Amino acid sequence: MPYSLNEIEAMCKRATRGAGLPWGIAEEAGKASRWLASHNLPGPEMLSKLLALHQGTVYQDFTPVFEGTEFRPTSDTLCPLMAGAALIDRISEFPDGQHIEFKSIAYPILLAPYAAFCARKIGLQFELSWAGVRVIISPEGHLKIEGNTALITSPHSTSVVGRSSSTNTDFLPQKISSRDVDTEGWNSLAGFSSRMYAPATEASRKLGAG
Amino acid sequence: MRRLKRDNWTFSRPKFDINAKGVGVAVYSAHGPEHTYSLVCFAHDLPKEDRSDRVIAHAWDATFTLFDGVPNGEDIERLSQNVPKQEAGRISSNEISLSRANRSVRMFDYVVSCLAGGEQPDPEKIRSIGYLMRTTAVYGSGKFGAADREVICSRPEFNGPFQAEMLSVYLTRAFILDLVEHLAFKTAPETAVVIDPAIRRLFGVGNSTGLGMAPFIVNHPVLFNNWIAAREEALTRIRSLFTATLQEQSAFLDILARARLNVEGWRSEHPLQQKKLALLKTDLKDLEDYLEIDVLAQERPWNQLYNWAEENLSTEGQEQLVSLMLEPYGALVDDLSDHMGATEDKHFYIDGSKTLLATQSILEDIYDWALKTEWSAPDTVARIWYVSAEKLEPRLGERFDEPLEPYEQPLATGRDAALMYQDILTWNGGPLLADFLLEHPEHRHIARRAQIAAELPYAEIRDNTISSTLLPIDMLRCKLSFFGATHFDPRSDRWVRINMFQNAPFPHELKDHEEDDWTYPILNELK
Repeated sequence: MPYSLNEIEAMCKRATRGAGLPWGIAEEAGKASRWLASHNLPGPEMLSKLLALHQGTVYQDFTPVFEGTEFRPTSDTLCPLMAGAALIDRISEFPDGQHIEFKSIAYPILLAPYAAFCARKIGLQFELSWAGVRVIISPEGHLKIEGNTALITSPHSTSVVGRSSSTNTDFLPQKISSRDVDTEGWNSLAGFSSRMYAPATEASRKLGAG
Repeated sequence: MRRLKRDNWTFSRPKFDINAKGVGVAVYSAHGPEHTYSLVCFAHDLPKEDRSDRVIAHAWDATFTLFDGVPNGEDIERLSQNVPKQEAGRISSNEISLSRANRSVRMFDYVVSCLAGGEQPDPEKIRSIGYLMRTTAVYGSGKFGAADREVICSRPEFNGPFQAEMLSVYLTRAFILDLVEHLAFKTAPETAVVIDPAIRRLFGVGNSTGLGMAPFIVNHPVLFNNWIAAREEALTRIRSLFTATLQEQSAFLDILARARLNVEGWRSEHPLQQKKLALLKTDLKDLEDYLEIDVLAQERPWNQLYNWAEENLSTEGQEQLVSLMLEPYGALVDDLSDHMGATEDKHFYIDGSKTLLATQSILEDIYDWALKTEWSAPDTVARIWYVSAEKLEPRLGERFDEPLEPYEQPLATGRDAALMYQDILTWNGGPLLADFLLEHPEHRHIARRAQIAAELPYAEIRDNTISSTLLPIDMLRCKLSFFGATHFDPRSDRWVRINMFQNAPFPHELKDHEEDDWTYPILNELK
């Protein structure tokens, strides 16, 4: 079913919070999924899989360890939402062209919207690469994917390298305003988001309802 | 309204297919320089027991959508399957808003019966309610599948916030008045008359607003800042004026008299609000008395008046005065309305390169009241904002009476700022905000808000939004006033009825009528 980007953002934010991540991370995950959806990438779908992977753990287990120019996981896997937020927080520390490495990260495409913000902030294009795929984003938020595009939906990468670049790639502007989200992904997100809704009671209807 | 008139918008009614029971569909189109928008109206036969203004309702007297363009038969068929269901239906990116309205049954039946009998309704009776129907929700911005704001915001007519929703309400008013006249003719074709145009304009569109609107102003800090900043800048410009011309003085006295008449029409059954309303009436009388010493003829008249009001009027009176002071000065302040839109995204991302020391100082500045608050006292955290599973709408609960904490929404900004501040004080790690947030992602939400408020001074409500003394209605009224609401009938501390577009010209009258002087009732026009 087609959803508006506003619905996608709201659902992804609530689902991320429902899965136990902090509000601020959830707000950013909502924006990130919206950005991916608006570039016709499977943001909500990948987020639903990531949240499923997080099940049964606490978010502290996903706090990245940062050293020098490298983000690595505290336990097995780096969470792209937490790592993306940390990348944004630190982007002004890195010199232009610096390689920044993300070790053992889940659903690396979820890093792309955070990289897009970095591109905007530093005014240079920013690229992410893993295995055989390169995702290049312009400061204006345009996107180009080179290499093996099937790897966009990789559930995991042992190493993702991010770096800014002063080259000017030819981008094809592509923005869409609503898109289909696959039913399985949407239902999974809805399941997570429902955890943050209080069951209605007669008392709450009487007292608190608008 | 100014734009509709300035750009010579025209209006048409390509469809009006409503039966004698008031059931059917109508389409109202507004044709602008580049785009046409059509309000598609579905009128229903609603059993009395189903009529509810609450968001938990599932059926309404009328349901609406604002269509981007002119709908064809297939569009109307599709919409007829969805719009009447409201939240339970789906609309598409061809639609811009979704809304519904219920009749004020007493007023609706009275007016139909007057008109059917060949008589005009009594202006005094109309004023006692002020509308035939009230909307109970007007959704926009991508809700339920509608077009995202990005789709329409580059069009000049929808560049400002809520312009599409306001257009839909304005067209809704035209439909409602046509409907009531149509039903009178269906009831008694031999005797029925249409409403006299001047009496017709006494009808606005009611709106019943509950808690759902309160979190909006917390969740849109940039927009909220821009609204308040526009108002504060307007006030500053007027307070700085060295003199007021005789014409400006007389315009102010006129609008003050009209505001007094306006307030006479407010109704409330809530003791606290009744008290405030009584104070407002006294305030406006005191203000009129004070003006007799000719303060407006003195130097810096508006500044003097404002300073006097701060000492002598209630908050309600002061706020009303500020609104009235703007009225004679359209030419001086109207440009500010061009700056009331916002792109929240521009301010969304946190600057992690700020030092913790600087962050601490921002928290001390923005949340000073919160850092002094005793958050362990039950009364200071008595309330809790949550979202119900039932209609996914915000509600306000009692923290200590109901098991709601796992569902708490991030709307207690003061408390959360105090928590972040405590953690900064005990922090032993790196010097940057980025270092701190890596370990404490639970504070990202408030770190973002603090950075926004450091740049935009009105972004944050500097008071406790979960205290036992919280009055959500103040948040509702604040937001509604920016929609142009000047008539408030508070039903409780969390539910208010307002009236919009009362006294405004109808679409077919815009060409020949003043579009900018109707927000307060006109004196002595109709007895």
